[in-house]
Amino acid sequence: MKIPRLTTLVSILVLVVLALFPVIGVPGNWLNYLFSFFIYLALANMWNLLAGYTGLICLCPHAFVGLAGYTLAIGTWVGVPFQIGLIAGAAVAALFALVISYPVFRMKGIYFAIGTLILPEALKAWFSFWRPVGNVYQGMGAGYSVAGVAGFTLVDRYWLALAIAAASIFLVYIILRARLGLGLTAIRDNEYTAASSGVNIFRLKLSSFLIAAFIMGLAGAAYYIHNPRINPVGGFSISWLLLPLMATVIGGEGSEEGPIIGAAVVTFLRFLLADYGAWSLFIQGIILVIVVVTMPQGIAGLLRQVGAYRFPQKLFQLAEGKIHKT
Amino acid sequence: MEDFLVGLAPPLIKGILLGGLYVVIALGLSLVFGVMKLINVAHGDLVILGSYFAWAIMTRLGMDPFLSLVMGLPLFFVFGFFVQKFIINRTFRISLDAALIACFGISIIVQSLCQAIWTPFARSLTTDYRLLTFAVGPVTIQLRYLLNFIGGLAVMIALREFLRRTYLGRAISAASQNEPVAERMGINPNRVYSFAFAIAMACAAVAGVLQGLTFSFQPTSGPPFLIISFGVIIIGGLGSMAGTFIGGMIFGLTQTLGGYLSGGSMLVQTIAPYLLVFVVLSVRPQGIFGR
Repeated sequence: MKIPRLTTLVSILVLVVLALFPVIGVPGNWLNYLFSFFIYLALANMWNLLAGYTGLICLCPHAFVGLAGYTLAIGTWVGVPFQIGLIAGAAVAALFALVISYPVFRMKGIYFAIGTLILPEALKAWFSFWRPVGNVYQGMGAGYSVAGVAGFTLVDRYWLALAIAAASIFLVYIILRARLGLGLTAIRDNEYTAASSGVNIFRLKLSSFLIAAFIMGLAGAAYYIHNPRINPVGGFSISWLLLPLMATVIGGEGSEEGPIIGAAVVTFLRFLLADYGAWSLFIQGIILVIVVVTMPQGIAGLLRQVGAYRFPQKLFQLAEGKIHKT
Repeated sequence: MEDFLVGLAPPLIKGILLGGLYVVIALGLSLVFGVMKLINVAHGDLVILGSYFAWAIMTRLGMDPFLSLVMGLPLFFVFGFFVQKFIINRTFRISLDAALIACFGISIIVQSLCQAIWTPFARSLTTDYRLLTFAVGPVTIQLRYLLNFIGGLAVMIALREFLRRTYLGRAISAASQNEPVAERMGINPNRVYSFAFAIAMACAAVAGVLQGLTFSFQPTSGPPFLIISFGVIIIGGLGSMAGTFIGGMIFGLTQTLGGYLSGGSMLVQTIAPYLLVFVVLSVRPQGIFGR
């Protein structure tokens, strides 16, 4: 029998322990923190897929999150159960990505960044004046509440978020080891060389864009199941862009472990600074700038530089050797 | 038909005058974009910081917003110089993406600083001449929109003369036209970048005063100005003052005419400039005058 690699075993073990957290009686606010961590992690992973592996500085995660949240919320108003709304929201986000992909992929570099930044602003304006269903107290600037999620307990939501985060990590893992990942990194490093080597740039960019939009939508919809009220200012808030961007940059852009480290740091900062209102964002902004200036490779890059991975790697190799011998 | 034309005159004039404000904002943005090929995503927030600065001086010291520029201009200039020197120049050496993310960080810092100091309430520069109107023939003109136009014209002419007549100005133009050659002619790019950013900040201070007189503002009202002035650059072209001026008018007109033709709909008024930028970007990805 083939013995799976130790790293795989450890990841599965961590996943199982995290999944068992609610069962073994971990306090509710811990589940709350972890819920946020999982959502941020999923967003950061997808942002890393776009910025770190595809070379797309995409400034519109808030468009995907807001659209998915609105789909979920409006869906519950017309009688769609939220479980379907969750998937529908992610699908709408991906559909939106598909619709905008042709115009935005014509833009390069800085133009792409600004082009994508316009979309959530336009959507925010649109949703501030739009009321498809509901009475005077819903829609437009007031937003919608998500109905019928009361029976979905914190434990269920925790598992949902854990599943989304795990899926996002697994997805990036698979993509990077498939042809898609090879093509994407080729595009990131040099688009013209990649194109002349026979890489279909548009199709590969589109696949990673769609995957990212879908998972971001899923994470956004899950967040709005947890906090069942969405309004244009919150749903299309720039903090939905700031979170994955900060997590990826602080953790290390273009590395698999970067977003995980970064998301943990960001979640920690968020709850640590929760009482300071606007100063919280101020401090986060300062940290972002300091990290970009002093360590462009992020924490993961720093760890690699000082050789922090060498010891655990050796340990793993030793252990693996022992296992395979017996 | 005649009624329609008479009705069309006020938004037409208002749009053209409002364009002056967008010209001032876009000039600052295009100066940085020209030399570094970097869009300073914090520019809209810096404009709002300018508005807040003028507001703070006005409420604390009772000074007129335009007079407050005596303090605001040098302060913003120096601030911009050091931001460029210590943050953006360093990240720019790493990559364009890193510089873009640093600018984004500055945007967050400025936005949250305004929110922390001046609270998220909507403010406006309430001077006694803010709501003055006067009649020219059959149409009434609001003074604040006229001030925008005059401000736009003044900043544009001042900047053009600066770029043409001073050594530093010519160095900036040279660096934005062909940087490697400019560098070989003995121009220090980092210095040029720092001064370009400092001047852009000074433009933001002026734009902040004009913006505060025209609209009410909140800490989060910066990004729309960034997008609109980016659109102005795309339509007007880099390095062309006249083009920038026309671009500003086009965006002013899009906003006022869009609002007028849709029967005063706020939605159209807000969303029309975004759509225009997006369509122009997707039709001509490098901008209309891009290389």
